[in-house]
Amino acid sequence: MASSRSQLSPTDIADRLRAQLGNDVLTSGDVHGHAVVTLAPARLQEAAGLLRDDPDLSFDFFDFLTAVDFTPKGRGFEVVIHLYSTRHNHHVRLKVECDADDPHCPTLSELWPGANWFEREAWELFGIVFDGHQHLVKLVLPEQFEGHPLRKDFVLMSREAKPWPGAVEGEEIEE
Amino acid sequence: MPQPVKFILNWGRRYSLWVMNFGLACCAIELIATSTSKHDFIRLGVIPFAHGPRQADMLVVAGTLTDKMAPALKRVYDQIPDPKYVISFGSCSNCGGPYWDSYSVTKGVDQIVPVDVYVPGCPPRPEALLHGIIKLQEKIAKEDIREKWSGKLTQPAITN
Repeated sequence: MASSRSQLSPTDIADRLRAQLGNDVLTSGDVHGHAVVTLAPARLQEAAGLLRDDPDLSFDFFDFLTAVDFTPKGRGFEVVIHLYSTRHNHHVRLKVECDADDPHCPTLSELWPGANWFEREAWELFGIVFDGHQHLVKLVLPEQFEGHPLRKDFVLMSREAKPWPGAVEGEEIEE
Repeated sequence: MPQPVKFILNWGRRYSLWVMNFGLACCAIELIATSTSKHDFIRLGVIPFAHGPRQADMLVVAGTLTDKMAPALKRVYDQIPDPKYVISFGSCSNCGGPYWDSYSVTKGVDQIVPVDVYVPGCPPRPEALLHGIIKLQEKIAKEDIREKWSGKLTQPAITN
């Protein structure tokens, strides 16, 4: 069936999410041909279920999950989820804002088993709790490791002893 | 021990170093390249590669050692019978290298095992490892066998 294998445009993907979720789709856009959609955390699982199960969307491949620490910019954490459809060859990137002090995000490991390890990794490196995850234990860090090393406020002991000699991200280089 | 006997024993040992490959990152490629036909460290008596630490005489740590991997290195080192030698190959294993400020990288394998020769570079060329092997052989030639075989020299600098 040729029609069922057609690629949806980023706008179409965002429109389909908006039809289901209404104003809980906070923003949507098109970045390099991929739909980028910011969602309300409470409805992430519902949106993910739609993306996976709708035959026209059919996002069957959980590509990756990571997070971004925006706390120095006065925001919280942002969980970024990239999905891909091997059937239709289209992409979508879901973003969910989390609280800075107590970040929580719903789990997607029930929908895609591949999300399991990504969420464990984001949990240990950023300290984001994935609600509903069945096995939230350390994955890549040593067992005795304390802290969340990819947070911007994580103290690097070597840099305490010797400050970073180059330019810090976002700062102008003094001539 | 009489000098000629010491010379002959050390001469024999310096040209038969069965090497254990502890390749952890891109430096391991250079280490393997040193073992292949062009650079061919077997002409220096270094035999590639021991099937396990219990057969090895020498350990080459090539690459980035992380804190999580460090217990494995310690274990491999402890399994090598005395007399044993360690070459730290590349900036990462020497001091952490480009990962000097990392949260996960061990800043120098000499925190875990005693190192005989440090080969600098990122990664060092095979010629650099050949030079390091020759330096190690010079060291072996001057060794006091009784002291070396006692195992006292192979106590790690820092233990936990």
